[in-house]
Amino acid sequence: MASPRTEHPGIGGAVPRFSWKTSLAALIILGLTGYSVAGTDFNIIELLRGTGDAERFVSEMFPPDLSAATLGTAGTGILETFQMSFLGALLGATVAFPLSALGTQEISTVGASRGERLLRAVPYHLSRMLLNVFRSVPDILWALVFVVALGLGPFPGTLALAVHSAGVLGKLYSETLEAVPGRPVEALAATGANGFQTFLFGRLPQAMSAFTSLTLYQWECNIRSATILGFVGAGGIGQQILISMNLFDYPKVATLVGATIIVVLLVDRFSAAIRQRLAY
Amino acid sequence: MRGVSLENVSVRFGGVAALGDVTLGIKSGEQLAVIGASGAGKSTLFRALTRSVPLGSGRVAIGGHDLYALPRRRLNELRRRIGTIYQAYNLVPQLPAGVNASLGEVGGMGGLGTLRTFLSGPGAGLAKRVRAALEEVGLGDKAGVRTADLSGGQQQRVAVARLLVQRPDLILADEPFAAVDPVTTERVLETLQHLNREGATLLVNLHDVEIARRFPRVVALRGGHVAFDGPPDQLTEDALAKIYAGDRGTTAGGEDPDLPYARRGIEGSIRLTEGRDGVSSH
Repeated sequence: MASPRTEHPGIGGAVPRFSWKTSLAALIILGLTGYSVAGTDFNIIELLRGTGDAERFVSEMFPPDLSAATLGTAGTGILETFQMSFLGALLGATVAFPLSALGTQEISTVGASRGERLLRAVPYHLSRMLLNVFRSVPDILWALVFVVALGLGPFPGTLALAVHSAGVLGKLYSETLEAVPGRPVEALAATGANGFQTFLFGRLPQAMSAFTSLTLYQWECNIRSATILGFVGAGGIGQQILISMNLFDYPKVATLVGATIIVVLLVDRFSAAIRQRLAY
Repeated sequence: MRGVSLENVSVRFGGVAALGDVTLGIKSGEQLAVIGASGAGKSTLFRALTRSVPLGSGRVAIGGHDLYALPRRRLNELRRRIGTIYQAYNLVPQLPAGVNASLGEVGGMGGLGTLRTFLSGPGAGLAKRVRAALEEVGLGDKAGVRTADLSGGQQQRVAVARLLVQRPDLILADEPFAAVDPVTTERVLETLQHLNREGATLLVNLHDVEIARRFPRVVALRGGHVAFDGPPDQLTEDALAKIYAGDRGTTAGGEDPDLPYARRGIEGSIRLTEGRDGVSSH
């Protein structure tokens, strides 16, 4: 039984076969790695040499300052951080929702005139642009802006979180709205529902659980961000950490950082548990 | 509504012709079955009748109106008179069955009415009709159940209830029996024919030739062209063999003109069941 052909037409695995495209990609990655290492003075030996200083810094943190006054400071700082992150996420979601609705491309423009398309494109691009500005400026920069405008304290920090959250959530919301299964939406449009109606009854119900999950996740991120915002004077526990750092009160820093880690972990767990329940 | 007419209609998806030069006249109140292998253009034909696909060339007229030339508002008015029912039900899975059924009326709601229905459910008059419609399809006790929690056959009956609420003049049923059991098939068919007797024009897209034979007029598509148009008794074995010639029983990915929809990632897996076109599977 002589086989006519002994050659196997290979199928190949999940890794792309060696081709000029893969080689080029590998070259680019290698080049960028070298360029970045040079640009950042990246040096493993330097890192190892620094362990001594780090050790002294950490050992000075122990034992942490567990006096009532310090615990009280940590408590109020944590609470303020919590309030900032919650309000920031809520305000962000409130602003993000209408903007994301406007920033969602409608599928059915079949047979629409040029003018009609243009008329729809205007709110779409405007809201996308606004969301992009909100999102691409990091929250710590927003905090700087608001601190300059409104003075020190948790209020500018909350606003900073709200603006950045609005940008992030708006983009994620509208992407969710666009990725929703399209057939039920098309079915509604085919029986005469207008854009507002297909949105309300077709897209929104299908996107709702994802919206909740995304918002919870943003709240989680806000808690983490809010601890940093204090470094530019925008309230929260970060402000206390910075003050103690400047006073070389490392045992107090240890307590504050420890409290932050515990709260961030707790909120992460809580939010993850809720999100898991939402995803079915 | 004074019937449907297609004149030299062509639809192309990325260079592949899904419909080529289809001319078809359907009188008001007529009952018509459309058959053909998968990828023959059946679904595209139906989507052209609601202006859901861009038209390459030709003209689609419904009730004397040039469908593709209507301004948005008039288009929605016309669409309100068109009822649709699909193989994949295409209900909104997260909404209660009753709300899905009431969406047959959604085109007729004003802005405020839409918002009110969204927030607190359909108004008293509509709620009564929804309950009656669900009663009629045997789902009277399921109005508050999440649609995703219903079985496929039950979901298709909710879709029929939506039609009953809407009372359309033209019904487009796109493979309504492809994913439901024989009992539901009979039940749905009966309701559709009942609506037809009350005056609605009925177009049903079928993969089951035996069911198609129960319609007074059968149109067969092959490769996007009309291959047969006549009463079912003229549909001989020879004619059927020609209509389904070359259908290998499984959908060849690259040649399926419906594929652009699957590629959009919308229920792509549904298409997998289409391979049995032309086989009497019930």
